[in-house]
Amino acid sequence: MAANIYIGEILENEEIQEDCFLMKVKTAPSFQNPLPGQFVMIRIAGLNDPFLSRPISIYSFSRNENYCVIELLYRVVGKGTQIMAGLIEDSQVEINGPLGNGFNIQSVKENIVIVSGGIGIAPLSLLIEYLRQRDDCSSSEMIIYPGFQSASAVIGLDKMQKLCRNITVCTDDGTLGNKGFVTQIFQKDMKKYTPENTSLYACGPKEMLKALAKILHNTKFDCQVSLEERMACGTGACVGCAVAVKDKQGDPAYKRVCADGPVFNLTDIIWE
Amino acid sequence: MKTKTSPHMAVNLGRLKLNNPVMTASGTFGYGEEYAGYVDLNKLGAIVVKGLSLKPRLGNPPPRIMETTGGMLNAVGLQNIGVDAFIEEKLPFLRQYDAAVIANIYGETYDEFKKVAKKLSSANGVHALEVNISCPNVKKGGVSFGTDPKIAATITRMVKDETGLPVIVKLTPNVTDIAAIAEAVEKAGADALSLINTLTGMSVDLKTRRPHLKNITGGLSGPAIKPVALRMVWQVVRRVSVPVIGIGGIMTAQDALEFLILGAKAVQIGTANFVNPRATMDVVEGIKQYLAENKIKDINEIIGTFQP
Ligand SMILES: Cc1cc2nc3c(=O)[nH]c(=O)nc-3n(C[C@H](O)[C@H](O)[C@H](O)COP(=O)(O)O)c2cc1C
Ligand code: FES
Repeated sequence: MAANIYIGEILENEEIQEDCFLMKVKTAPSFQNPLPGQFVMIRIAGLNDPFLSRPISIYSFSRNENYCVIELLYRVVGKGTQIMAGLIEDSQVEINGPLGNGFNIQSVKENIVIVSGGIGIAPLSLLIEYLRQRDDCSSSEMIIYPGFQSASAVIGLDKMQKLCRNITVCTDDGTLGNKGFVTQIFQKDMKKYTPENTSLYACGPKEMLKALAKILHNTKFDCQVSLEERMACGTGACVGCAVAVKDKQGDPAYKRVCADGPVFNLTDIIWE
Repeated sequence: MKTKTSPHMAVNLGRLKLNNPVMTASGTFGYGEEYAGYVDLNKLGAIVVKGLSLKPRLGNPPPRIMETTGGMLNAVGLQNIGVDAFIEEKLPFLRQYDAAVIANIYGETYDEFKKVAKKLSSANGVHALEVNISCPNVKKGGVSFGTDPKIAATITRMVKDETGLPVIVKLTPNVTDIAAIAEAVEKAGADALSLINTLTGMSVDLKTRRPHLKNITGGLSGPAIKPVALRMVWQVVRRVSVPVIGIGGIMTAQDALEFLILGAKAVQIGTANFVNPRATMDVVEGIKQYLAENKIKDINEIIGTFQP
């Protein structure tokens, strides 16, 4: 196993949008290059409440000879992330990672279509960065559908704009870009794509992924989605982060989001 | 110059001999391989694997876990791959290591307990069985087995009849008189006792006014339960003569030493693995350091030295 525990030193931890933070953490050069879609378990050393680590997907990653920089884009949702948000420069955190399977980027088709909702943009940004660097993807067309609640909730868009020209921004209230749920806007465009020539990736809130599953139901589109779940260990040991999926025989089974995922085939997921 | 000798760490739990008293707690260390990248499994006293049932179990619907102050609730529902898949797919990996392998077993009926025990007894590489009569999550069995001294004794006797391996019976804290259960299973032939399993608890989401766990209740583990676990180990060691394994909220070597001083011959580490994947190693090293600092040459010299 390549994952390990590292001490991270915070270089920057900035509120870039209400309740949304960008944390840059410097760590040892032995930290393995993450695959897009992988995550880290992050913990404030010595903290007793909360004492469990929090899973955060990797937003960006870079290295030089002497150190690595892991960038995490996260939303304050509870006690753990709230305390994370209060950390100042030079504070130390414990980082376990990179963890999880990551997106499958073995064979990428002519069209790369990416649908994100809210903070779900984070793992997809790393995916876009990776695909952009790959020679065999240079001829692929990349189309991105980033969705937000409103203009005031937009995050990570500037980075996307640097990497890609074909971006269809959507907001639920129409304060920026197209008005409507990102899944509805994507659905209107769907006839442009065929299952044979399209690689589809998505990440966002459960309701959004559920809507996407409905849209893609009875089509031949494959869609890889990155899921979120409460976690304790992050390494596959506690089976606390279960998601219901169809196994190879089509029978229901609970898989571990941390170790079997966080990336799953959308069609395999069983929604309640 | 005099070389510093490392203190003697081996302990005997009856017939079960361990290189050191630090084991993993069932359900918190997977089947060992999940932590092999973080921990040298050779350096563990024993690996207790996730509870095994006769057939694979699906487990409970999510959400299954919730952190609470100083602890966590879980309602995993004993999801596991089943005893046959364990023997075929997981045991060969575990056999490579020096650590003793203890199979935690679980059944919904007497018959299931017997069958699982029998299958594991003929498998190569299992050193002991730990019988979970205490899991509070599964509606059909769990609690009722472990809360009635007669039923607890019956299961112990049945498992003993099926196996030549040492049998550890794991007790539930969700009872009025844990020592009475301990005495009953000792009389029924248990080779050792381990305690405590999780304490049944709840947590409410203020936004939805619903439980945080889909199962409504869950088992509380972690630092919050340590004082309860210590009290119960203290009650039990005075009433039985078989070895006792202390479990509950052990995060550090200091926590482990409290249990050992009370009279536990060994300890299990559970939730701490989630917080710090190397927790077991830190506890082993911390105990050695404590012994060295106090000029104690053998861990056994400290076990049961508590003075009320
Ligand atoms: C996620 C989780 C799963 C568990 N699964 C089992 C199990 O399968 N069988 C069992 O006997 N105990 C199980 N336990 C109980 C632990 O082995 C241990 O008794 C308890 O967690 C208290 O120790 P701790 O505070 O160090 O975690 C589980 C505990 C947790 C947190
Ligand atoms: S968080 Fe423990 S198995 Fe996923």
